[in-house]
Amino acid sequence: MNNKKILLGVFVLVALIQLFVPANMIWSREKVLSEGTEYKFKTAPIDPNDPFRGKYISLNFEQNTVEVENADDWIMEQEVYAILTKDEDGYAKISSVEKERPDGEEEYVQAKAFFVSFNGSNKLSLEFPFDRFYMEESKAYDAELVYRESQIDSSQVTYALVSIKNGEAVLKDVMIDGVSIKEIVKSNKDREAEEKTDL
Amino acid sequence: MSIQKEIPELLKAGVINQETASRILDYYRIEKGTSNNRFFIVFGVLGAIITGLGIILIIAHNWDELSRFTRTIFAFLPLVIGQILCAYVLMKRRQSTAWREAGAAFLFFAVGASISLVSQVYNIPGNLGSFLLTWMLLCFPLIYVMRSSIVSLLYLAGITFYACEIGYWSFPTSFPYLFWPLFLLITPHYYLFREKSRSNFINFHNWLVPLSLVIVLGAFSKYHEEFMFTAYISLLGLLYLIGDSEFFRGNKLRNNGYKIIGSLGTVGLLLASSFDWFWESLRRKDLELAELINAPEFLAFIIISLLAMGMFYFNQKNRSLIDIKPLSPIFILFMITFFLGFFSSIAVVLINIYILGLGILIIREGGNQNHLGILNFGLLIITALVTCRFFDTDLSFVFRGIMFVLVGTGFFAANYWLLKKRKVNE
Repeated sequence: MNNKKILLGVFVLVALIQLFVPANMIWSREKVLSEGTEYKFKTAPIDPNDPFRGKYISLNFEQNTVEVENADDWIMEQEVYAILTKDEDGYAKISSVEKERPDGEEEYVQAKAFFVSFNGSNKLSLEFPFDRFYMEESKAYDAELVYRESQIDSSQVTYALVSIKNGEAVLKDVMIDGVSIKEIVKSNKDREAEEKTDL
Repeated sequence: MSIQKEIPELLKAGVINQETASRILDYYRIEKGTSNNRFFIVFGVLGAIITGLGIILIIAHNWDELSRFTRTIFAFLPLVIGQILCAYVLMKRRQSTAWREAGAAFLFFAVGASISLVSQVYNIPGNLGSFLLTWMLLCFPLIYVMRSSIVSLLYLAGITFYACEIGYWSFPTSFPYLFWPLFLLITPHYYLFREKSRSNFINFHNWLVPLSLVIVLGAFSKYHEEFMFTAYISLLGLLYLIGDSEFFRGNKLRNNGYKIIGSLGTVGLLLASSFDWFWESLRRKDLELAELINAPEFLAFIIISLLAMGMFYFNQKNRSLIDIKPLSPIFILFMITFFLGFFSSIAVVLINIYILGLGILIIREGGNQNHLGILNFGLLIITALVTCRFFDTDLSFVFRGIMFVLVGTGFFAANYWLLKKRKVNE
């Protein structure tokens, strides 16, 4: 009987940890979403998939490189902190990169060093921790098509809407000219369905 | 059972008495009972796994029409159902293997579903490796709390997947050092259940554990592949020795993954190293001791070889010297030959002699034990050796032809001899 109680106690503890981990993931993201600053990162999406989590759009950012003093100081996969500013059109831009967590007033995001150029240009490219945007499986491919069209039309701008607080980032949405890519795919699908019924 | 139908007749003829008859009937009643129970376990576990996987797939669809709040609730729903189910099992059905295994298997997948849904809702990139790691760590206590072997197997598959993701498939790759402590976490479970050596769950472990080790070891290779080769020979030797230990002696061969993987792997790698190109690249290599000592391949080689030598000693302690199985000392011979190979081209000749000797000794063993399977395994080793030499163009056609004829007639002769010996014995 005693043994049973201990086992049950341990199980309750395990169950609580199993509940706590996802709850904590949610809690920290919700906090970034509600209290963080919004940034727009110009991007170029494509659509791969993950066996467990389904289809997503993988994002490549236009503004992901920064000039450093000495390329030899940085190694691949190293944790870094990118200090952010906004350009004249309001899009995010990396102003500098640091190895230690900044303690000043400036906004920053935690990222990984991805590629160091050794051709003397001393450019360091970064990998942001918000390069996946999960989409419903039937929409992911259409979203890629919509994106490609927007690339041909140079007047359109694609960007990721990201909320940032204390270095933590949460990707809110991917936008094409200020409209959510989900909305565009949805309205395209509705229009196609209407055209079919008209025929 | 046909024997149960025969019992009245046997009784009548006076072959068995009433007591023996009832004992036979009791025996089959118990056996039948366990086989019913086994069905229950199999269907329970399969049902739980399939439902769990179904939930993961439904979640992977990504219902972006639903609000963030609704999706968050759905993330917790299967998890809470699984937890309630397991709590119920712990309180009321603790003695039932079927309930324990099915409940734990369902909860295992519910945890995976829950963290993957949260990652989706918040677009958390976390690569597949870190996702698997979180999932496995959250589920490993179920192995002990629920005394669940199926979670142990799923966990083993999960950490192997994790190690492959980190060590082989992602870019840039890194060494999955975490695999080892994660692997050690299941050993107490494996050890505690050893007395149930006939249970199918343990049989699955006896295959999955060696398979997982063989898959993962290669992920620690970067610059010194040739040392990884010797590390593999030692690992396969170790697996063979474990399979040949007293503990597995009574097991059927098909339940002994250690012995099968160990012996087939050893022979395969020996054959691969029986070509001169393997040794040629070794002789051309400039090795610096300082660099070598820090290489993970070298470390793996040392640790595994020490373990294998320990196992060799442990197995041989209570056996006579004549009782050494031909395959057991191969890894030691290979080690010596490997270091010779850096300086001399005699290594390739030695390897060919080992394979030939191994084949002959195994044929002899098959003859002594009156076992056609072992006899033909030995013959197959020699055939494989001869086939490999077929591709060595620097040997003359006539010589190769004679070798083939000899081996071919050897096949007939050896099998004929053993069958005849059996007839005489009968």
